[in-house]
Amino acid sequence: MFKSLLLKGRTLCLLLCCMVSSLVVTAQTKHTGKVIGGDDKLPVVGASVRIKGTNTGTVTDVNGDFTLTLSPGNVLVVSYIGYVTQEVPVNGGAFLTITLQPSSSTLNEVVVTGYTAQRKKDITGAVAIVDVASMNTVTAGNTTTLLQGQASGVTVTNSGQPGGVTSINIRGVGSIFSTAPLVIVDGVAASLDNINAEDIESIQVLKDAGAASIYGVRGSNGVVVVTTKRGKQGKATITYDGQYGTTDPLSKGFNLGGTQTYMQAEFLSYKDDGHTGAGNPNPQFDPNATGTWSIPDFISPAGAHTGDPGTTIASYTLNPVTGTGNQVTMANKVGTDWFHEVFKSAPTQQHNITASGGSDKTTYLMSLGYLDQQGTLLGAYEKRYSLRVNTNFNVADHIRIGENAYMFYKQNPGLPASSNQNEGNVISYTYREPPIIPVYDIAGNFAGTRSQGLSNSQNPVADATRASTYAIANDWQMIGDVFADVDFLKHFNFHTQFGGTVDNFFNSNFSADAYENAEGNTNGNNYGENSGYNSNYTWQNLLTYNQQFGKHSIKVLVGSEAITTYGRGENANRGGYILTDPNFLQLNTGIASTQTNSDYIYSNRLLSYFARIEYAFNDKYLLQANVRRDGSTFFAPGHQWGTFPSASVGWRVSKEDFMKGIAWLNDLKIRGGYGEAGSLGGVPIAPNNANNLYGFSPGGSFYDINGTSTNTVFGTNKSQIGNTATTWETDKTSNIGFDATILNNTIDVTFDVYKKAVSGFLFQELFLSPAGGAQAPFVNAGNIQNTGFDLSATYHGHVNDFKFNLTLNLSHYSNIVKSLTPGTPYLDVNSGGSSRLQNFVRLQPGEPVGEFFGYQEQGLYQTAAAANNSAGVPWYAGAEAGLENLKDVNGDGTVNANDRTFIGNPNPTLTGGFNLNASYKGFDLNAFFYGVYGNKVANYIKYWTDFPQVFDGNVSANVVADSWSPAPGANNSNATIPMLTRAANLGNTAAFTSYYIENGSFLKLKSLQIGYTIPSDQLKRFGISKFRIYVLGNNLFTITKYDGLDPELPPSNLTNSNLSQPDNTSFGIDFGNYPSNEKRYTLGVQVTF
Amino acid sequence: MKKLNLKFSVPLVLVVLISTLYACKKNFLTQAPLGALSPATLGNKAGVDGLLIGAYSLLDGVGGNGGGIDGAASNWLFGGVAAGDAYKGSQPSDGGADALPVGNYTYIPANPYITSRYEILFDGISRSNDVLRTIPLAKDLTAAQAAEDAAEARFLRGHYYLELRKQYGHVPYIDETVTDYNQPNNVEIWPKIEADFKAGMAGMLATQPNKGRANKWAAEAYLAKTYMFERNFAAALPLLQDLIANGTNAQGQKYALNPVFQTNFSPEPSQKNSAESVFAAQNSVNDGANDNNGNKGDELNFPYTAGPGQCCGWDGPSQWLGNSYKTDANGLPLIGTAAALTPYAFNTVGGDVSNTRRGAAYTGNIDPRIDITMGRPNVPYLDWGNPQPGWIRDPTDGVFTPRKNVYSQSEKGSLSDASPGAWDAVESVANNVNLMRFADIILMAAEAEIEVGSTANAETDVNMVRSRAANPAGWVYLNSAYSASSSTYTVNATPADKYVIGLYPAGSFANKAYGRAAVHFERKLELGMEGMRWYDLQRWDGASVADPITGSDGSMAAEINAFFASDITINNQLTGAHFTAGKNEYYSVPQQELDRSKSEGKEQLIQNAGY
Repeated sequence: MFKSLLLKGRTLCLLLCCMVSSLVVTAQTKHTGKVIGGDDKLPVVGASVRIKGTNTGTVTDVNGDFTLTLSPGNVLVVSYIGYVTQEVPVNGGAFLTITLQPSSSTLNEVVVTGYTAQRKKDITGAVAIVDVASMNTVTAGNTTTLLQGQASGVTVTNSGQPGGVTSINIRGVGSIFSTAPLVIVDGVAASLDNINAEDIESIQVLKDAGAASIYGVRGSNGVVVVTTKRGKQGKATITYDGQYGTTDPLSKGFNLGGTQTYMQAEFLSYKDDGHTGAGNPNPQFDPNATGTWSIPDFISPAGAHTGDPGTTIASYTLNPVTGTGNQVTMANKVGTDWFHEVFKSAPTQQHNITASGGSDKTTYLMSLGYLDQQGTLLGAYEKRYSLRVNTNFNVADHIRIGENAYMFYKQNPGLPASSNQNEGNVISYTYREPPIIPVYDIAGNFAGTRSQGLSNSQNPVADATRASTYAIANDWQMIGDVFADVDFLKHFNFHTQFGGTVDNFFNSNFSADAYENAEGNTNGNNYGENSGYNSNYTWQNLLTYNQQFGKHSIKVLVGSEAITTYGRGENANRGGYILTDPNFLQLNTGIASTQTNSDYIYSNRLLSYFARIEYAFNDKYLLQANVRRDGSTFFAPGHQWGTFPSASVGWRVSKEDFMKGIAWLNDLKIRGGYGEAGSLGGVPIAPNNANNLYGFSPGGSFYDINGTSTNTVFGTNKSQIGNTATTWETDKTSNIGFDATILNNTIDVTFDVYKKAVSGFLFQELFLSPAGGAQAPFVNAGNIQNTGFDLSATYHGHVNDFKFNLTLNLSHYSNIVKSLTPGTPYLDVNSGGSSRLQNFVRLQPGEPVGEFFGYQEQGLYQTAAAANNSAGVPWYAGAEAGLENLKDVNGDGTVNANDRTFIGNPNPTLTGGFNLNASYKGFDLNAFFYGVYGNKVANYIKYWTDFPQVFDGNVSANVVADSWSPAPGANNSNATIPMLTRAANLGNTAAFTSYYIENGSFLKLKSLQIGYTIPSDQLKRFGISKFRIYVLGNNLFTITKYDGLDPELPPSNLTNSNLSQPDNTSFGIDFGNYPSNEKRYTLGVQVTF
Repeated sequence: MKKLNLKFSVPLVLVVLISTLYACKKNFLTQAPLGALSPATLGNKAGVDGLLIGAYSLLDGVGGNGGGIDGAASNWLFGGVAAGDAYKGSQPSDGGADALPVGNYTYIPANPYITSRYEILFDGISRSNDVLRTIPLAKDLTAAQAAEDAAEARFLRGHYYLELRKQYGHVPYIDETVTDYNQPNNVEIWPKIEADFKAGMAGMLATQPNKGRANKWAAEAYLAKTYMFERNFAAALPLLQDLIANGTNAQGQKYALNPVFQTNFSPEPSQKNSAESVFAAQNSVNDGANDNNGNKGDELNFPYTAGPGQCCGWDGPSQWLGNSYKTDANGLPLIGTAAALTPYAFNTVGGDVSNTRRGAAYTGNIDPRIDITMGRPNVPYLDWGNPQPGWIRDPTDGVFTPRKNVYSQSEKGSLSDASPGAWDAVESVANNVNLMRFADIILMAAEAEIEVGSTANAETDVNMVRSRAANPAGWVYLNSAYSASSSTYTVNATPADKYVIGLYPAGSFANKAYGRAAVHFERKLELGMEGMRWYDLQRWDGASVADPITGSDGSMAAEINAFFASDITINNQLTGAHFTAGKNEYYSVPQQELDRSKSEGKEQLIQNAGY
């Protein structure tokens, strides 16, 4: 395949050489010249150079050079798309340097699109170009967050956690597993997360297969192509960027009750059941069983009052390992605001120094970065020290070599204790820990739920403090490549590049004895270390042929790529530490008998061949075709290779004669394309997918056959069922769009509609139980379809010195599961965090991925009669007045599992970003709004805060006022919360219902920046060429109806009950997420020397 | 010319380079699996040994597909809670969407407990079948070894199928020859189960090199139990008589009741696998498995805080069970009398420390086994002292705590796990799960004697069990140290309560109905909190013989609904609970199995009646 292409290329090349030479007409003097762009001072390749009034002319080569034989007095007409056509009279000199000035339209931008660069004008696929300049106004450690709202068709969901998880979907949910796009940084696959934002030169997002299929199997979820800054010819410049900011926690928090409300709600939950007085068991609020409640002075001893025995410091005892003793603790009668005990204002600072410059032989850029982002959550932070060195050497006229190197050291221990989801982490403890518990007991030790009758939550201050005292998370990475370019035979270029990533990490943590908790206080402390490395290497070879002749422009690319991925690491733990000084903790200092170890190892490779042809006729008719062939170790021989073709065409209508008279239309290009790309789906987590294998684990296959109680014997079991037929999942994208520039180049519009059909998506096969416990293989199991549109429009305006740009990016997708494995009617999935309510989500053909599935709540039963059906039988077991009125969907007179239905779609109808850029003299202003419309959110926090019987944690501030009351004569017409009770049934806490579903739409002012640039003439004497100072405010407001902290929710990223692997089937579920809408105020300077 | 050479040579070199890459394509895309064994490496004695151990390792219901607390070997939920031995426990919403509906019979067939038990049992079957498939490949096995291994694998498979059959009724049968897992479940599998146990009897040694292995007697006991489920008492009785007369455990010790009842529940290696142990799931701790080989299926079933558990207050024994231990002046149980069933009539000795709602303390006679079966306020709990108020997590949990699955304070850290960082380490314990103990065999024999043998023999059998319970050395005493190594209190001066237990007088079973009731009730007392009750009720209901459910006399529904009616006054988690006769005698077939059967193109599986 590849060889034949190469042969064809050679034949074509010979032919074309002859054609071009025939165009050169003999004349008197031979002149050479160079055409460079006025914007970037780089050679303009393929510019047309024509003698005015004749048909004689040529085009510039890859160095921007041309040779023409001219007569004195000739005038050259030099033109290239995106530049103002220029007429240059030929004078005496033999060498001409012609600088073309760019025309104002943004269509002139050079876009890196899969192994090559194109003018935006020539693009026929769907490519979103990120405005890097305005991107830099969003301060964040995580570069991914900068993409949000800046490119149509790209849905980015943030976490506010420093270094936290950010998810990107390009054009909907393309896979059940990862939807993360391929990120290419300077030609090498990398992650966006750790890039120093200051280093970024450009970002392009390749959205459709027409653009992305050159990346083949890695292109299915779209491709984000990032190029970093490189040195430019000219004198050396040094730039300093610095900013300092402070982030404030959300003022409202979870809107919880204080001690008064909490105790009252607890009391009512018993009282409403008729269990008060003699039967009232809570030792805290009614220790004497009087049938009323009061707030005690002490919670340890339970329910004690001042003067009671055991309430003095003299009677205080505490064993800090077991938690036993009389840990005297006073009640916080007002209520501890746990949220603001752990969320505090926190500083962020970022500094960057870039030095760059170069000569005609060498260019260089060195960038030194430092980021220190402190999270508002106690103990959450990210620190990063980075260095980038990019250099280029022109070793000969036609040979260039260079390198890109990026190194960083990062410290990011994640969240203090546990993950960012579910009931067992610091954030969820802020709504679960009862407010009556103070942070500290009377002796200054942590107080907690060890005080009887106050739930099983943990003290979030204690957890965060301990975790941040001990957690170490170091990561060292080096990402980069070396490359060589050779130009030969005038129109050919060969590029070879070897690059990759080496990532080393070391983490350690220590869980201290938590004496203050009701649970988890007797298992002993634990120290753990894990370390390892991950690596990938890419070797890439590209051969490019590029020529223009007459009205024809042709570019051919063939290439090969080989990618090797390998990693291994280990994890070790010990316990029983008697001394817990952080400096002392090592594996060896723990008790040897408690040790546990584990390892990981993986290795896989991808081999690819690809080709592209770009052809343009008269700048009017554009054609691009790609084909890529990928082979992977993940599949069995015979199914390793996939072929991914694509083709797209463009028609610049505005160049047609019949359009010439339309004055308001400056440029119009209609595009269309179809192509295929692939994805590995979740297969990378099952590298042995094709094989039948046996494995072993101490807990899963070893057995104490000798009855020793403490020693097991080796055992083994089938661990993997292979499937040799599994192969790539394929998505087929059709795209139609247009790019238009109208009204005297003031408005640019790009619009695309698409259909993206994923076929044979990879899904772990669902075996019947008799197949046993071996991991099921991934199979090509179903189809998903996304349809949607992307719109991007910019208005460039100015009033005298006041210049402004308005940009709107709008994305819509609608997602539908077309089919599952034949015969599979649906698949119920849950994320680990939702296990207390069972499944939240059903995957079913005809419905979108991730749609919530449960009972339809329609208010509360107001009367006992309403809780019964026509036969006088309760609608469901335990139904009574004051509980949720659940819809009898199938009308069979009873409410049961068959009445569950689809109750909300977490996929947004629209996401959009709106940018305002303005400048007046030295002042500049940027405002960026981001909004999501039409998505539903499952507010699982209400499960914990609206129902006192759920582990007796803290309650919503309105839980007493807004709950249904059984008291005689109570007015319940406005009650929204079910009756407070101890019982758990379908009508309150035993099922997932639409009670938890909320509108997730929001609009955020993500950033507002005002800057001032001091006129440079005043600064020159200090050697400063530019000095800009700015203030930046982030998240100044969020408009939403959502009750929780922030409706912007990253994927649950938890374990699917059926598949035992993280997946993408459930999202938009709020388990107590780190909010990403905290206000931040930043002051920054930019200085160029 | 020189320049031209360079121009051509550079690309030429590169083309060669690319071609080289192309040529090594085949190697480049070959990747051997890392960190796993290929099937070929197991076709030998070591491989078969390993696979067989792997098949044993799922006896505890943990470590494979499904399983865990949802699929525990002890059947604490399906066999105990759902039959009234215990409450789900904890706070109402803890497990309110999954465990509670099982106990209350309001669950749906997609319930994770229903699914997990099914999955783990089939995983055990799958592992047993892997042993049988691999034996022919292992040329270094002697014929005797091959026969023994095969017999053990078939016994294990029989065990797993028996568990499935009694739980789900309709069970597809897959043996080592079947490669299509989508098999129908409308074929009665009792004959297959019998065949596996018969093969076990024929092929296994009587005395094994390892305490934890099954032996031929265990297979015989399981065959007898299978016949009991089939209500084929005539076939069961001679086997049971043979077992009582001649049976030995895997170490060759003659089957006998341990003199001290508590010995059966000790995690001490010297007491586990005793003469009373017919077959047990071996549990171990501090063995490098990060607490995963302890009795994980029961890890929630501990007092809430500050005792042997650090969590979670599940599976608290019910008032209904507690009431059963009341005895009359002769030390005989109050079978079916109003006094036994009335709630609040009996609470505990010395008043209730946790609340005062439940009436006065009971002061009458009581069977001493109550205090081995459950923790009660004011009664010493091994060497942990008296249960504390904090042990009861929620008022709906009643006042009792699980006891047969716990360890002594003196054993903490050595026979409970000490894995650092595991939240549940102290609830991961070395106590075996008694899958069958000799007392069970004796009481099955008594039952068979009532039905097809001699009522006098039945009396003898039941009294054998009661005599052991009457051994004062095995009682709980106040003001005494507890010795975990002997499972006894060292000073036997002050019994913790008014223990009075007597034997049935000769001839009292002549009235078969009375004898039957007495034998049935004795199983409740002796095997309480051992996950047996539900399956016993099912056997006695006649429900398990055939399908659709026929011969049901409604007795199972009657007893379980009586429990609900009685104990709802204590535990309002039972609100809405109802056992439907003709339906709930079997648990539902898991929804996912029905769905997946369909998705494979054949609707091979049927659901049980009523679901």
